[in-house]
Amino acid sequence: MNSAMNRLFKKRKKSKSIYKFEETEIPSTDQGIMAHLDENLANIKEALGNPGDLAIREFKMGKPSLHKVAIIYINGLADKMIIGSFVIERLMENVHDSENIHPKEPSELFTYIKENILTVGTVEDITDWNKMLLSLLSGQTILLIDGYNHAIGCSAQGGELRAITEPTTEPAVRGPKESFVEALITNTAMVRHRIKSPNLRVEMMKLGKVTQTEVALMYVNGIVNDKLLAEVKERLDKIEADEIVGSNTIEEWIIDDFWTPWPTILKTERPDVVQGEIQEGRVAVFVDGTPTTLILPAIWIQFLHTAEDYYLRWQFASFLRFIRLVGFLITLIGPSLFIAFLTYHPELIPTPLLINLTAQRQGIPFPVFIEALIMEFTFEVLREAGIRMPRQIGQAVSIVGALVLGEAAVSAGIVSSSMVIVVAGTAIASFTIPHATMTDAVRLLRFLMMILAATFGLYGLGLGVIVLVAHTCSIRSFGIPYLTPFAPIILADWKDTLVRAPKPFLSTRPRLISQLRTKRTGTTQNLGPSSREHQTTNNQLKRDSNEP
Amino acid sequence: MLGLNHQEMRDSSTMEKAKISAIQLFALMFLFEMGTAVIISYGIDAKKDSWLAIMLGMCVGIILFFIYYFLFRQYPNLPLTGYTRKIFGKYLGWIIGLLYIIFFLYITVHNIRSFGELLLSSTMPKTPLLALIILMLLAICYVLYLGIEVLGRTAEVFIVILILLGLTGNLFIFFSGNVDLHNLQPFLENGWKPILKTAFLETSSFPFGQMVVFTMLLPYLNRPESMKKVWLFALILSGLVLCWTASLNIAVLGTENVERSTFPLLSTIGKVDLFEFIQRLDVIVVFTLLITVFFKASIFFYCALIGIVDLFKLKNHQQIILPIGCILIFWSMSLASNFSEHIGESRYVDSYITVYFHIIIPLLMLVVTLIRNRFKKNDSSESNLT
Repeated sequence: MNSAMNRLFKKRKKSKSIYKFEETEIPSTDQGIMAHLDENLANIKEALGNPGDLAIREFKMGKPSLHKVAIIYINGLADKMIIGSFVIERLMENVHDSENIHPKEPSELFTYIKENILTVGTVEDITDWNKMLLSLLSGQTILLIDGYNHAIGCSAQGGELRAITEPTTEPAVRGPKESFVEALITNTAMVRHRIKSPNLRVEMMKLGKVTQTEVALMYVNGIVNDKLLAEVKERLDKIEADEIVGSNTIEEWIIDDFWTPWPTILKTERPDVVQGEIQEGRVAVFVDGTPTTLILPAIWIQFLHTAEDYYLRWQFASFLRFIRLVGFLITLIGPSLFIAFLTYHPELIPTPLLINLTAQRQGIPFPVFIEALIMEFTFEVLREAGIRMPRQIGQAVSIVGALVLGEAAVSAGIVSSSMVIVVAGTAIASFTIPHATMTDAVRLLRFLMMILAATFGLYGLGLGVIVLVAHTCSIRSFGIPYLTPFAPIILADWKDTLVRAPKPFLSTRPRLISQLRTKRTGTTQNLGPSSREHQTTNNQLKRDSNEP
Repeated sequence: MLGLNHQEMRDSSTMEKAKISAIQLFALMFLFEMGTAVIISYGIDAKKDSWLAIMLGMCVGIILFFIYYFLFRQYPNLPLTGYTRKIFGKYLGWIIGLLYIIFFLYITVHNIRSFGELLLSSTMPKTPLLALIILMLLAICYVLYLGIEVLGRTAEVFIVILILLGLTGNLFIFFSGNVDLHNLQPFLENGWKPILKTAFLETSSFPFGQMVVFTMLLPYLNRPESMKKVWLFALILSGLVLCWTASLNIAVLGTENVERSTFPLLSTIGKVDLFEFIQRLDVIVVFTLLITVFFKASIFFYCALIGIVDLFKLKNHQQIILPIGCILIFWSMSLASNFSEHIGESRYVDSYITVYFHIIIPLLMLVVTLIRNRFKKNDSSESNLT
């Protein structure tokens, strides 16, 4: 019926226009699991296109009556060791063992195998054809018995996976040295290691019609805002894509606003970051096949925070945050300020400095803006080249970059050395922003600011900043205003934004995000040296330590 | 708050369904009050006692506030253009609402033009005025397109920046040692007359009387009961800051210089010279001016827009931003042919027209409402008797 309909439609479409591409459905087979084993095997082979990596092992078992049994798995996805010793060996042993009497009926034998013989971690009874194919393709081992239309899926997934390594994009001097890998289960386990609470919830779902990518939502029940959770699930459900390629695809599907340059979802590869964020009431989205985990909702200031902030003394952590904020501002408006001052407002530069700068620019054939544009563009090219090139020739690029562009361009009189300083300073400053998505946004916006500064000077730059702030105020990440806690002002949340207060004083969770359990510490009244009885021992200790 | 599609919500009714918080209203009011008043030679007709004139002006502002507050209490869910129709009847009220809108638009244009003139004269003499005005209006249009909520939140960010700028500026002025308090003495040199004249004719209407525009925004307040506190706090604080700045200008420059210069704060901060390196801090003043003028013009423009939406029963304010923005560009260009003509014209408007909008019409509304309430009470008491 279905195929007949399809054929009908195809004919009609063809008659309309031969040159148009046809919208076709992806072929799918649904024969159902048959009672006859050979037929099943043939169907599986046909459905998968008889691939070379499909392994089928047929044998007979059962006593007194023999039954045909087949084990099916895909080479490379399944762990052959487990299959060998816990599936095949167990089944064969039972055949040779003379004392065991197996049930006669295939259905009874099926249950017997499932309950008594297989010694792998989990087995499941599969009746649906597509589900069987899916579990086969997810690395499970399928066991079929002749004469019964059920299948057993044994969890014997294996294959080669990358080992857990040190985080590369978010390194920390102190703090844990592990980062997420591609396998979803390993990633969720890494967070589970850190939060041993029954309230840590992991919800799995499969997204992508073709790729059937596993996606896991992770949150702490009782802290997470239910409305947020429902919203995230609704947006994930709305994804109607054939393929999910990594977490970025998910991000682009569920994001609030496509047009904004700012990242509104935090990406991390550190399990401790996920731990901290979901403790504040956020939701983490793990995607199988990507080491990058999404954390939402994300607000602007989070992109200037690192995991390291919580492993350092609070004064120093606050200082580092200040440095990062300055780095952010320099990256955004550093070059444009330079352009605006030199082009439009030289009188605002202190005289000795101005003389110095003008002397350097003697003989430079370009206006300041063009000069800055050339240098910034060159730097971006260098940066991209540095990422894309093979490791072995990295030396060459850095020599070319540093010597040719830095030294030679200045001595050839193409750019002034002050411009090189500004561009290099901006570049260094941009590396202080810990999250790559934020760096990218600022790198793009910097050019916009430069254009404004070149056309309207400080006035254009000021207006640009006002409009940028207004735009930033206008966007939301999953309902949370992006500039909280600055706009709207929430003073209680300021202690973990520009500064980081000592841990005992971070007594409340961010107010807008969690909304449920805001308090997260006990009383902070009795901190410091302990009470009187203990103090005597304390004094004792002090006296002891003072004695020579 | 979560999962709401704001666009859809806005489309469903004439009034934007946004809400602004008490802090946001405060930030908007403070930035609004600082707008140009903190830069220009403000209250200088009272010579050395300009600070007193400003304080008196602020007191007038407080009295005006109570008129507006009474009207707000009568119609807490309506903007100004809404209750003019309730009070004066459908037709007269509509015309008065329209007059208010034209007045608001005029002040928007006036502010933008003044700022453009300042930029021309101080930092960018070669740039065409039209370009400066277009850029300003484009920025304002974009921000207003995002809505009043965003404007409020942006104000929250910039009030912090403004405070930082103000503190640095003050610090530098004091460290540079140019402050001479003798310039402010003696007190009441010319008697009370010039002080009272300045206070009632000049400082009371600008900028304190201009706060009448906020009656358009009050229905958006998320907690209307906080309005009284916020308004008075913003009014008094900005009065004090203006007073401080005016006195500082006189203390640094002396009365004659302040009288002569158009933007005395620029000259005041220009006197700063520390270690022969920290000098020419005009940037602070220019940025202060930019931020405050931006917010002042935006607030006037937004209130005019929602007034138009209210009077002409339009769907939302977004659809008329650009057309009216274009009108404003041409209006601001044709307002005056040069700066002195512009100043003269604004003098005329300030002394003969603003008083109607700031004081007389609200006062009339107050009186009419009181009389109506009296009649209503009589009616109800009579009906109770029978």
